[in-house]
Amino acid sequence: MTKDSYHVVPAPNGGWSVKKGGAVRASKHFDNKADAEKWAKEAVRSQGAEIYVHRRDGTVEQKSGPTRDPRPSRGKHTSQP
Amino acid sequence: MPPSVSGDFDKNVFINCPFDPEYTSLLRPLLFTILYVGMIPKIGLERSDSGETRINKICEMMRDSRYSIHDLSRLQSRRRNEFYRMNMPFELGIEYGCRQFGPDHFRNKRCLILEKSRHDYAKALSDLAGVDIKSHQDKPEDLILAMRDWFFETVGLRNIDSRTVIWYKFTDFTSSFYNTRKNQGYSDEDIEDMSVPEYMHFIQEWLKDQRVTAQGATVRVHAQTPIISTTET
Repeated sequence: MTKDSYHVVPAPNGGWSVKKGGAVRASKHFDNKADAEKWAKEAVRSQGAEIYVHRRDGTVEQKSGPTRDPRPSRGKHTSQP
Repeated sequence: MPPSVSGDFDKNVFINCPFDPEYTSLLRPLLFTILYVGMIPKIGLERSDSGETRINKICEMMRDSRYSIHDLSRLQSRRRNEFYRMNMPFELGIEYGCRQFGPDHFRNKRCLILEKSRHDYAKALSDLAGVDIKSHQDKPEDLILAMRDWFFETVGLRNIDSRTVIWYKFTDFTSSFYNTRKNQGYSDEDIEDMSVPEYMHFIQEWLKDQRVTAQGATVRVHAQTPIISTTET
């Protein structure tokens, strides 16, 4: 994979892990998939990385991103008050 | 039975498993693990020749494979009027016969027998009582663990990665596979229903790119081991 990516995958010993693409160690471990997905989305918010959410059998359920931080850059003009 | 004609006898792993869609979730990590450790899967679905009978094809693959993996986890009928599945124990029987009655080099054949839960097989195949069988609980990561341990203990592969590493590599592969195939216009159904030869081709291409095959692992040759032992404990 050319872009940075994060993967929500079943952990071998139960629960769910979030790991970076190519890594052989998990970045973080969770008891359930929803919490893992939530953390992954927060983790990549400012990195422009892709997120792959996997099924129990390891195949890809969905891919999203790259996700950019929706907050405007400091000093940049916006129409928001 | 004539001697093996394949030069890859010591690397070939014959796969005796169900071929129904419900087993795909185990078959794909099974194929990946064999290729990942540098061995060669031999499976009835790898070629389609209408002029060749299924049993002849199976016997040819067994003849060419020192190793074999037999998954008996789908022996039991699960629905009313569903027939009992007998292909897997039948093929295990042929493999056993090869070791008992075949030429000398067949005495060194080794097999891994898999079940869903420990001792399930005893209810249907009590002749195997006392044989060490590994269970996978229908979970791909447990299947990888069972295979990985067998490759270390019985096949003699050394420098083999842990179950966790192989599992995470498999998820890296499925991500890359999904991404590449989607960019090439494959639908979800195309990906899900992909034939075994094509899927194996993509695994091999990915592993080549990653250069993660355990080609440096050494295969230890056993002089003599029990007739149908799956591990040497």
